[in-house]
Amino acid sequence: MVTAYLLLAPAVLLLVVVLAYPVGWEAWISLTNLSPLNDGGAVFVGLDNYRRLAGDADFWRAAVVTVAFAALTTLAKLALGVAFALLLARPFRGRALVFLAVFLPWAYPASVSVIGWYWTLSPPIPTAYSAFMGHLKISVDHALGTGAWSFLAVTLFNIWRGSSFIGVFLLAGINAVPPELFECALLECRSAWRRFWLVTVPLLRPFLALAVFLSLTTAFADLANVWLLTAGRVVFPVIGTHAYWLAIKAGEFGAASALSLVLVPFLLAVLALLFKAFDPPDEARA
Amino acid sequence: MSPRPWWRRLGHAGLVLVAVVYCVFPIYFMLVQSLKSAQEDVFGNPLIVTRPTLENFEELFERKSEPRNFVGRALRRDYPFVVWLQNTLVIFGGSVAVTLAVGVAAAYALGRLRPPGFRWWRRAIFATYVVPHTILFVPLYQVVIRLQLDDNPLVLLLVYPTMALPFCVWILSAYFGNLPREIEESALVEGASRAAAFYRIVLPMSRPVLIAAGIFTLGTIASDFMIASVFLLSEHNQTIPAGLATMEVALDELLAVAGINLMAIPVVLVCALFARGYVRGLTAAMVEGS
Repeated sequence: MVTAYLLLAPAVLLLVVVLAYPVGWEAWISLTNLSPLNDGGAVFVGLDNYRRLAGDADFWRAAVVTVAFAALTTLAKLALGVAFALLLARPFRGRALVFLAVFLPWAYPASVSVIGWYWTLSPPIPTAYSAFMGHLKISVDHALGTGAWSFLAVTLFNIWRGSSFIGVFLLAGINAVPPELFECALLECRSAWRRFWLVTVPLLRPFLALAVFLSLTTAFADLANVWLLTAGRVVFPVIGTHAYWLAIKAGEFGAASALSLVLVPFLLAVLALLFKAFDPPDEARA
Repeated sequence: MSPRPWWRRLGHAGLVLVAVVYCVFPIYFMLVQSLKSAQEDVFGNPLIVTRPTLENFEELFERKSEPRNFVGRALRRDYPFVVWLQNTLVIFGGSVAVTLAVGVAAAYALGRLRPPGFRWWRRAIFATYVVPHTILFVPLYQVVIRLQLDDNPLVLLLVYPTMALPFCVWILSAYFGNLPREIEESALVEGASRAAAFYRIVLPMSRPVLIAAGIFTLGTIASDFMIASVFLLSEHNQTIPAGLATMEVALDELLAVAGINLMAIPVVLVCALFARGYVRGLTAAMVEGS
């Protein structure tokens, strides 16, 4: 047993130093009014920060945008991912190359592709496609409201990269299913649509659940991409950028901590539900 | 299987084509821009390059390019791109190694040795994914300063592994847990120590899953830009993402696009090389033996 804990120690230590302690600090600070603009130390204010949030119209707007963004991108990523996986599941000529193409959006480092994506959609002045993109941006913003173009840019980027990951991930899931099972299904049921829901989806359940969770966390936590794609001008607030703004520009660490922690219970609840679906099946064997 | 009618094959080919264009086009577009001369960038067709040139890439590698004309010198800075590239490769390689070492140890403990409550340990480790990174760097900076690691590339070796570790521990422990016990036990009966049995037998068997974990780690840390630019302040310590974010885009657009591609080339090459192993490893981790 000692060996087990010794082997576990480095991982736990890393997570405590880098994640647990900072989150604990945030949780404590969210109950105070810490701000570099105040004189003296932080004063304990209880749940005041959370209460203020509940009455703040900006917060609710950001919350709605965040949830819509996460739901929209997750659904789109799942749909595209399933399509990619099914497309690649059966052998055809050139499948290896198509597989690499599908893998590429995820493998291409997002830290830099997001920068390239931004310049493509909002090009600097002197390029051949600037005028075209400018017109597109103006007409989209005009039709759907200011900020729509940026929202679209972030959404498209998230879907583009995420669907690649989920597609490859689900392909791994399909590969794990013995082909006889699909052949049986083919004999039992003629409708491809019903076959998909009755056979493929249940078999892929652990993979789908894991994919949904990873997609949700990146969507909620996706501050950096929003920040970059909108060039720091927050035309549509999500909770992440709102919290960043409060902390860094307004110096209200207490309120910002409260804001950034708001989503944690929600994500934990989702995770608790999903654990059932993707816990490794070793319980019964142990 | 009966041969499929021509219209179904055509439909399939059409879908494949759409998928490939959707996935590759943005990358193709960036590649084309990086091969353009400034003149073609302004007057040419944005979708193709008629006279490809490597001058943007060459400029990245010239530490001190010849003095530009006055306006250019006044406005444009030189970027220590070679240093950034070196930092990036070292930090990425190091982070993947740290993640795998720490992850394999933890996964072996959870999947094989199974201390009491191992399921909850594993769930707790995985649940760290709910932590929002939004303003996490504020308290993290306190830790970093306490450890005297501020403006030190080593800090990324501490932070990056935590971004991929939960997933890696998850799949590795699932795989270790599903390996038949007899494999190891026969070695133990022969008189090998537990560590020897692990190195000689379990580790080589897990190669595909290790590859899957490594590629996942590489893809995850290569997407970070925030942490790198917050913690690496001086120019000679930065990685490519952190450095690119400081570039004046309107003036150096082509140079920056070339930089993007240069950063992507090694990462994409490694990923492509191990792409099949990645899929095989994920499959093995989630299902095999159960």
